[in-house]
Amino acid sequence: MTTEEEGCLLVVVIDVNPVWWGSSPRKKDKASLTLPQCVDQILVFVNAHLMTSPQNKTAVIGSHANESRFLFPRKTTSHEDQKDVLSQIISLDGKYEQFTKVQTDVMEELKDLISSNTVVSHTDTLLSGSLAMALCYIHKMEKETGVGEKLRSRILVIKAAEDSASQYMNFMNVTFTAQKQNVTIDACILSKDSGLLQQACDITGGIYLKIPEIEGLLQYLLWVYLPPLSQRSNLILPPPIQVDYRAACFCHRMLISVGYVCSVCLSIFCAFSPICSTCHTAFKIKAAPLKLKKKKKMLASGV
Amino acid sequence: MADEEPEKTYTWEGDYERTWEAIKEDEQGSLQATVDDIIHRAKRKRLTDRPVNVRLGMMRHLFLALDMSQAMQIQDLKPDRLTTTVKLLEKFIDEYFDQNPISQIGVLTTSNMRAEKLTELGGNPKRHITALQACKDKPCVKEPSLQNVLELAMSTLRHMPSHASREILIVMGSLTTCDPGNIYNTIKTLKEANIRCSVIGLAAEVRICRKLCEDTNGTYSVILDETHFKELLMEHTTPPPATANTEPSPIKMGFPQHVLNTEKDKTEQPSMCMCHLNSKDDKKLSAVGYFCPQCRSKYCELPIECKVCGLTLVSAPHLARSFHHLFPLDDFVEVQRSDFENEDSLFCQACQSHLTAENVYQCPKCSNLYCLDCELFIHESLHSCPGCASGRPRPSQTEHMEVD
Ligand SMILES: [Zn+2]
Ligand SMILES: [Zn+2]
Ligand SMILES: [Zn+2]
Ligand SMILES: [Zn+2]
Ligand SMILES: [Zn+2]
Repeated sequence: MTTEEEGCLLVVVIDVNPVWWGSSPRKKDKASLTLPQCVDQILVFVNAHLMTSPQNKTAVIGSHANESRFLFPRKTTSHEDQKDVLSQIISLDGKYEQFTKVQTDVMEELKDLISSNTVVSHTDTLLSGSLAMALCYIHKMEKETGVGEKLRSRILVIKAAEDSASQYMNFMNVTFTAQKQNVTIDACILSKDSGLLQQACDITGGIYLKIPEIEGLLQYLLWVYLPPLSQRSNLILPPPIQVDYRAACFCHRMLISVGYVCSVCLSIFCAFSPICSTCHTAFKIKAAPLKLKKKKKMLASGV
Repeated sequence: MADEEPEKTYTWEGDYERTWEAIKEDEQGSLQATVDDIIHRAKRKRLTDRPVNVRLGMMRHLFLALDMSQAMQIQDLKPDRLTTTVKLLEKFIDEYFDQNPISQIGVLTTSNMRAEKLTELGGNPKRHITALQACKDKPCVKEPSLQNVLELAMSTLRHMPSHASREILIVMGSLTTCDPGNIYNTIKTLKEANIRCSVIGLAAEVRICRKLCEDTNGTYSVILDETHFKELLMEHTTPPPATANTEPSPIKMGFPQHVLNTEKDKTEQPSMCMCHLNSKDDKKLSAVGYFCPQCRSKYCELPIECKVCGLTLVSAPHLARSFHHLFPLDDFVEVQRSDFENEDSLFCQACQSHLTAENVYQCPKCSNLYCLDCELFIHESLHSCPGCASGRPRPSQTEHMEVD
């Protein structure tokens, strides 16, 4: 069977933004989940993924407000080291060694990540950096797969904090690369809707779900995100959401449905202006005066 | 006349390259590693040689002209020139729209001393590919006509707005052309109309093609084999630097909403989209589609020019897809691994692999290190530095981290 040989590389990106996880209004909420609890649930999900097929692989990335870091696998100097470490782990309670390794690695790296970034002045998470790292890792792993083996890759983002507007361009670069590499981006949203992830999921054909009960995270993960990509068409999954593809003008960050685009730099503006504020190109006014006159007339009649 | 031609050496006149000395066996006696390395280096060179920060023609209008003369039946490319060309042009069209999302393409053919228009300029790759595929079964007749095909392309291109780039790319198998008039006049008009002509020859260099390309600022190249042919075609997917005459101007564009037929909004009646109005396919009758924000005409695909009110309809991600041409990522610096104190414990910032190669690559902005594989991947497809994207450009923060 050829299908048996196809493994799935799942890269989980966890939003570990301490500002969001530690925010006080959320704690008052009766439905709450602490970061360690959340990571525990994700680890159960990751183990379930590894159990479904011996070819399945995984990686976990922590996305902080200040940096992105691989929580698993940890940096090792060579492949032999990794094997040694695995054999050194004494199976305490008959637990599969791989699971123990994933758990200890993730927990230790996470502790280190949080403690080395004690001063956090931003509330948004640098998600696009984590996604870029995930894509590079996937690219590398797919290149290393031997002849006859197949590796399908996907990324699951567990998103908590808000979008970072300054990362729009990086985010779009990541999304289009994922689409080109045939990598699906799924998103599991814990709190506020994310416009950027909505677009990423829509473009790459992934599932976008804002979970209604944050405490039931594991249930949603196992029901919605565990089945392999090839079986998704047979399942009744959350319906596609209406994605807002309107553009935001560069001048007021306002969503517009008709606007002017600079032919040199493609900046979007909500009104005609003789100079592009992004690339400072002065436009030759040829067809424009007509439109201007019309506008003036409209203004005059409006007043 | 020969004096005017730029200095160009033939392969057999060029420097004596001892390529076999560069190839060394590894421990297992395999050559793969060094061969890979040479390929990588060539790729990296191509990337670094690319001009940076030149103004680009974002709204490209390109006519592909395909030679359909007898010369295309020659079997020096397998199975024959025409089949290979069509196969490669299909890939080219896909790649072209990937890199130039708000651009247009049209396809022309020339055979039997005439020129024919297969498809009008348009932004839908599928339409052009279907038309091209049909070419495979058409007969290849007599000689091509360079002049006729140029005139035909010019008749449409000269009406394109001045801010757009106008281009013609000819794939020429024949060594001759049969023209009704003086082709030099045509070349002159092309030059005046600011139309950039490029030719890819399948056989050998032809003087008139070189003249055409040089006068109109295009490129002229003759293929060596199929791989080279593919490379030459792909070079044309990168937008050319805009020539001085293209005037910048703001373009009015619409960003239509995609209306889904979900439970919430059943208000929209099923209707035909404007692009399939003439087709007899009943499946196109639905409530799903993109609606022109100005006149409410419906389309099933973007980008497109509204047939009713003429507004260019695009989605915001379409524009974002072109950003990397305008804000290219800085080149990484090649550094020696031995320059670092902890040279044995360096890791690639992107893929986590242990850096063991002699050379590593450093981002000038965030000074993170990368392996060669990731360096190429980042510059060829990602266009974002993972290190820069996961850090904030704030010096105070890095200082603090060092204190810790
Ligand atoms: Zn505005
Ligand atoms: Zn501009
Ligand atoms: Zn319209
Ligand atoms: Zn790497
Ligand atoms: Zn960088």
